[in-house]
Amino acid sequence: MTQAKRILIVNLTRFGDLLQTSPTIAGLRAANPGASITLLADRNFAAVCEGIPGIDHLRRTDLDSLGHQLLAGGRDLLHAYAEVEQLVRELREEQFDLALNFSSSAMSAVFLGLLRIPDVRGWSVTPEGHRVIAHPWSRLFATLCLNRSLGDLNLVDSYRGMAGGGPGVERLFFDVSAEGRAQAAGLLTDAGVRSEDQVVALQLGASRESRVWPTESFGALGRALTEAGFRVVLTGGGKERELAREVSTVIGARVIDACGRTDIAGLAALLERCSLLVSGDTGPMHLAAAVGTPIVGLFFGPALPYDTGPYGRDHVLLHAAVACAPCSHAVSCLDPFCRSEITPAQVAHAATSRIRGDWAALADLGALPGSVRVLRTGFDSNGMYQCERLGTTSPEPDEALRRAYRATWLAALEDHPLPPQTFSCVDPEPFVEIAALARHGLELAGRLVSVAGRASGSDIETLGAELAALERNLAGRAAVQPSVRPLTQMFRFGQECLPDADVIGLAHGTAELYGTLAFEADCMTRLLGIGQQREHTHAGLHQ
Amino acid sequence: MMGPQMLERNREVLQSRFPDILLVVAEAPVVAGFECTHGADGCILASVAGVPLQNPHGPVEEARRWARASVEKLELAGARRAIVVGLGLGYHVEALLECFDGTVIVVEPNPGLLRAALGARDLSGLLARVELVGPGAELADSLEPSRVLPYAPLLLVAGGLHRDAVERSQRVAGRSGARLRVLVVSPMYGGSHPIAGHACRALNRLGHEAELLDLSTFFEGFRGLSGFATKDSRRRQTESLYCDALGDGVAARVEETGADLVLALAQAPLGEAALRKIERAGALRALWFVEDYRLFTYWREVAQFYDYVFTIQRDECHDAMGAAGAGHVSYLPCAFDPEVHRPLDLARPDQLAYGSDVSFVGAGYRNRRDSFRRFLDVDFRLWGGDWENAGDLKRNLERDGARISSQEAVRIWNATKVNLNLHSSTYCDGVDPRGDFVNPRTFELAGAGAFQIVDERALLPELFGPDELVSVGSVDDMRAATMHFLDRPEERAVFEDRARRRALAEHTYERRMEALVATVVARDQDRLAKKPRVWTVADVREEAEGELARHLARYTDTTPFTIDDMIRTIPDRHGPLEDPEAIFLFLHQFDDLYLTEHRQ
Repeated sequence: MTQAKRILIVNLTRFGDLLQTSPTIAGLRAANPGASITLLADRNFAAVCEGIPGIDHLRRTDLDSLGHQLLAGGRDLLHAYAEVEQLVRELREEQFDLALNFSSSAMSAVFLGLLRIPDVRGWSVTPEGHRVIAHPWSRLFATLCLNRSLGDLNLVDSYRGMAGGGPGVERLFFDVSAEGRAQAAGLLTDAGVRSEDQVVALQLGASRESRVWPTESFGALGRALTEAGFRVVLTGGGKERELAREVSTVIGARVIDACGRTDIAGLAALLERCSLLVSGDTGPMHLAAAVGTPIVGLFFGPALPYDTGPYGRDHVLLHAAVACAPCSHAVSCLDPFCRSEITPAQVAHAATSRIRGDWAALADLGALPGSVRVLRTGFDSNGMYQCERLGTTSPEPDEALRRAYRATWLAALEDHPLPPQTFSCVDPEPFVEIAALARHGLELAGRLVSVAGRASGSDIETLGAELAALERNLAGRAAVQPSVRPLTQMFRFGQECLPDADVIGLAHGTAELYGTLAFEADCMTRLLGIGQQREHTHAGLHQ
Repeated sequence: MMGPQMLERNREVLQSRFPDILLVVAEAPVVAGFECTHGADGCILASVAGVPLQNPHGPVEEARRWARASVEKLELAGARRAIVVGLGLGYHVEALLECFDGTVIVVEPNPGLLRAALGARDLSGLLARVELVGPGAELADSLEPSRVLPYAPLLLVAGGLHRDAVERSQRVAGRSGARLRVLVVSPMYGGSHPIAGHACRALNRLGHEAELLDLSTFFEGFRGLSGFATKDSRRRQTESLYCDALGDGVAARVEETGADLVLALAQAPLGEAALRKIERAGALRALWFVEDYRLFTYWREVAQFYDYVFTIQRDECHDAMGAAGAGHVSYLPCAFDPEVHRPLDLARPDQLAYGSDVSFVGAGYRNRRDSFRRFLDVDFRLWGGDWENAGDLKRNLERDGARISSQEAVRIWNATKVNLNLHSSTYCDGVDPRGDFVNPRTFELAGAGAFQIVDERALLPELFGPDELVSVGSVDDMRAATMHFLDRPEERAVFEDRARRRALAEHTYERRMEALVATVVARDQDRLAKKPRVWTVADVREEAEGELARHLARYTDTTPFTIDDMIRTIPDRHGPLEDPEAIFLFLHQFDDLYLTEHRQ
């Protein structure tokens, strides 16, 4: 784990993402007991940070207010400018020596560039304003954001990798307060819940419409659970009251509507008391994971269990793995049929089985034909999150590709050995081509290194032109073979980070990037069934 | 306090703050018919020739109501400067000062009334807090957004001084506060096409956000329509549908941009349907009819759908436009663009290519064909189109009658000793004896610093004096004057210089657009105020500090203060980003990430 004295973590995203930062903070705290850790978060979600241990200073930004000011324009734009300038000034005065930017956006990159912190992990910009993603795990995180369907690394592990890794903690952290527990107890007591009652929470809403399971499905699920003897509590914020009313009508009188009746602490305590939470990919899902409550997670639309599944052991995830999944975040689906692929009967079966700890029944559910995959969360031998598919032993091509990539990244970034098994259901040929191109690039860059000090300008220009043609060729391969895009994307991000050095420096950097690309393509080729694992290790190639 | 004492006290404040006004007031007699009494509540009341200057049954309450309503108007307009026309006894101004923290300017044009008020009430507190514009003085230009607040009772006072002051103040306020989003719509072709571009550039130079919809790109299509039908009626129907489609496009652009004002140049293809749509989109509609209303009569069908019609003719033209239902008709003569029409120091090749003793640039109208034959015995070059079958003149015609661009015309004018400028006529053989409007060429030649001989026009004398332009009443005179000036370069130079000075001072497109905007703002202030205004760098320069102030120093006052404008220069710069650039870049990315859908 990285050593630093004054650490800034920037996470301007939402409730769930902030909770997913908690293992990184725990790791940084353990590795740097005397360090000062500051978290910069949006004011709307700052309450959740109060329950995350290890934060010394919480800085709140008001993105809503900034948005209103920009929409108003005119003098308000001047005020917005002044607020950002003030924040930048104050953060500069803190003299941070390490910054972790967990917001993968150009906006956060420019902001981090303004802070002039010597070691920035995640998106930032050079003094001239060009994007730079300096740390290899940061580049991988950015690469996976652009190639989500080929990713098999949880966001939490990407965050941890950016912070320097360290021993796996296998959980999220949130301290449930006494006030929160009192709030939850009062709510349940008022509803006549007894200590021996098993309570199942249903989280109705989500930050985006595309992540909301249909109301009628929740209603049918709630009714089934109630008939099975569970007390059902509906969770959500004030905005979900209308949804709760509709669902309550279907479930009946014994349902407990907690929507808008808890704060973050109360919600955490309420979830802590529950035997299970059923939820889409939401902030409360991560909160339940943090307080140790089992989860049946519903993944459809843009949600993927592999990258944002609940970080903990033995949660059950139902994934509607339809052909078009996952949706791009940039689209609004006009026919969101995938959310109905997961039926209330399947979820009720998963929920009751999980409460009983009946994994065999869950495997049976997973073995049923259809698009819905049943996954069990856990961790590999390195303490990294992993989803295990239940009900089948032979991976489908997308799963095989995902697992091969996972092994490749861990080999390249962490020097983990490649696993012995191979996945023969995916065509390895595109990776063979990439490996060959990469080796050619390595050779060209090597020649450039050897001649840079003594060759004529025209020789260097010729080699430069050949390298440029090779890059176009690589980009062309990625255009027609989506399976190789993560490799070429990592390569491109690496190129962006090459320093403005002399020809020799650039040639060295380019050679190193092509060497890494060749290694990664070789790993993929081997895992997909061709060739043997090379003996050399490549940890540090991305450094 | 007695009258003389109050007057003395008020005088002290005037002496220290507005000594020039004191000089004027001290010599002015109290306005005739001024009477001063006490109301039931003890308040001092005044009237002029029986017209009360305030509500006699509660002047303070009435003033407060007026002030509250005024503040609403000021806020709606985003105005930080209240221009109150009429001081009266000051109750309304005192009430406004209580509830408005911006600048209050009081315009009092009547010296006798001001003299009377100073003797009637203690206004020293008020005078210490307001800016006073006294009789004979004019409100100064300011970049502060302003709102004129006429005080109604004073508008009834005989003499009309306050009414005039309101109009003048509104013109100034219009220049200062209002920054309009204007869509300038060009015709597909014709003489008014370049004027659309000149007007648009002028509006932008004045700080408005103007966009040119250049419809010349559709001209080829329009011409192609004639291939569909040979019968006139069918062809006209097809052309009409084509124009409707263009009008629909213009209306769509208005909706998309939220324009405040659509300025259509003559011949712009906007029909009733498009103009109605534009109105529904919330934009004001103005037509600058830079044509002879007698010759081109299509305005009869559309004038009623314009809120404003600006013409280059007066009197009968305005009567006709009014009868056709035009909302508000104003005189707005043509002009020139100093960036295009300017003196040139031509190299010898250009001088040879474009120069001659006498020349004319323009279309071959009937009267020109006839008149210019009189110049066949001199070094005469003829430039421009529509000279088919020009007979003897054909050998003088350059480039076989090809179209001459504005830039080339300027070269020709600069290279020519005597430029002829004969206004077109389709029915006269020489100078049109009833010709009234002044053509663009007159202003353009003057702006270019070129010597011209122009035919007399009824509206010319108020635009250029006889010592600035040589004007002639007949073709004979035109020839005689030409012969006279050909050999007198010093005399030509005097005219050239004077004409250019006058043109620069009064006849640029900027001056015209200023007048146009002031007219619109004066009449539609409330409607425009309801629309969000465009902030410029000038609006925020004073508040900006440190690095931001230095950053803003790179921009002109009229640059819109928007994120996009603040980052526009970044791609052209080398080296590290400065903090203001990076902060605006951050705000730009924030906007892009979170606000795009809110803006749609």
